[in-house]
Amino acid sequence: MVEASMWSLVSTIIGGIATLAIFSFLLKENEFYRFFEHIFIGLAAAVLPLLTIRDFLWPKILEPMLGLNVVVYPDGTVSEPYQPLSLLYLLPMAFGCLYYFIYSKRHAWLARLVIGFSLGLSGALAIRGFFAEALPQIVGSFKPLVVFSAEGAINWFESFNNSLFVVTLLLVFNYFFFTFGKEGSIQGKIAPLGRPLLMVCFGAFFGSTVMARLSLLVERIQFIVRDWFSALLQVVG
Amino acid sequence: MERRLIYLIMIVAVAIPILFEFSWAPSRLVSAERMYQVIEDVRAGEGEIALVWLDFGPGTIAENQPQAEVILEHLFRRRIPVVVLSQYQLAEAVLNSIPADIASRLEHEMPGQSWRYGEAWINAGYQPGGAQMMQNLAAAENLSKYFGRDVNGMPFTHYPTFAALGGIEKVKLVAEVTGLVGVFDTIIQFFQKSDYRPTLVHGCTSITIPEAYIFLDSKQLHGLLEGIAGAAWYSELLKRNHPESQNDRLLVRNTALIISHLVLMMLIVAGNIVGFVRARRSSDG
Repeated sequence: MVEASMWSLVSTIIGGIATLAIFSFLLKENEFYRFFEHIFIGLAAAVLPLLTIRDFLWPKILEPMLGLNVVVYPDGTVSEPYQPLSLLYLLPMAFGCLYYFIYSKRHAWLARLVIGFSLGLSGALAIRGFFAEALPQIVGSFKPLVVFSAEGAINWFESFNNSLFVVTLLLVFNYFFFTFGKEGSIQGKIAPLGRPLLMVCFGAFFGSTVMARLSLLVERIQFIVRDWFSALLQVVG
Repeated sequence: MERRLIYLIMIVAVAIPILFEFSWAPSRLVSAERMYQVIEDVRAGEGEIALVWLDFGPGTIAENQPQAEVILEHLFRRRIPVVVLSQYQLAEAVLNSIPADIASRLEHEMPGQSWRYGEAWINAGYQPGGAQMMQNLAAAENLSKYFGRDVNGMPFTHYPTFAALGGIEKVKLVAEVTGLVGVFDTIIQFFQKSDYRPTLVHGCTSITIPEAYIFLDSKQLHGLLEGIAGAAWYSELLKRNHPESQNDRLLVRNTALIISHLVLMMLIVAGNIVGFVRARRSSDG
């Protein structure tokens, strides 16, 4: 328990120093900032392979293949029988390793097999994913322009909302419709109306981005003011 | 104006409510209320669980951590078994710390009751593979077997609550807390069967709010927490129903965010007035 609180104290103090180092960039580019930036990049890069091996490759592929997940009890019985079919994992692993032939001029075509397979797989997944995601949205865009409440009266607020939604949808669609020339047509005359609606959307995105950045600032200031100073006082006191 | 002076003004504006620990009541958010009701309505029988994806790391912890905390607190209070897991490698720390902290807080609040690892929740760790992993997860007939072991290397079968989970039909709720583009979409696209789609709720960062509203509108999402504000209103709902629930720190953070917005708007207005006056002067002179 003492060790855990000590570890928490040390990590809080290091966290505060790292935060101040990154904030020092606001004054100007400096070596203190650079040092911690490189630490962050290194840490993030190292964590991915480590976790992939620890949480996936080892327990789900290598252990079953090597039979290391089978526990033999003192009475000679086993926790689970060895599955020889898990050796089939070797086939996709060997196929995947062909990617390294990309470094050979003579055998680079072998790498292209893997790349082609990956592209095909990704393409198929993307098509399936698109329909699963977009179809409910297309269906959701068919909104009634006049909405009635349960009592049969017109719900003016919902009706206005739905009408605004449909008008925006049609105007923005029209703005991005380039198949036929728009000059002189009604379509061409109403096309500019899509632009201000798009600007509203961009404004919403920009505003929410600023809010996200400010949230990060608030959290860090809260950490520095409440947690880091307390940890420092604990160390000094 | 010297840009460093603007930074200083913003930092001071944010630091004041944090230093003096004052807070305003959060604004009511309908989507957060809807999410509260969705979690309130979840009924988990034998072998049924909630799947909580914590797909965030240090980059969005400011907004996603409070969201994860309120969702897990609500699920723990309702005694719904939770599997926490992540598609994001940098979520390792939060997968361990957040459920443990919530459990410890609840045990402190309600002496005699316990929320133990392996009973209240289990950590399935980092799940690489994106769309393919999500398809396999949805197709798995036995999730305990699919996950195999928890992050500590213990088999799922070791924990009676999570020993026989069954397939996707046993997942009564999916909560996705992330600010990463594409990660959330993977669940929408692939975590379903032709005859079953689990109830999905989402905690998003402010940047992805406009995108998330599309899914809310199309009813692919059943509830949404919008940044810190969403988490703050959700925590207020929790406090109304469970007065012992602690949300002081989150409300202070929400207040600091509101003040920073006000200061930012004042700076924008002041900047435009100064710019306008300068332009008039230069055109006159």
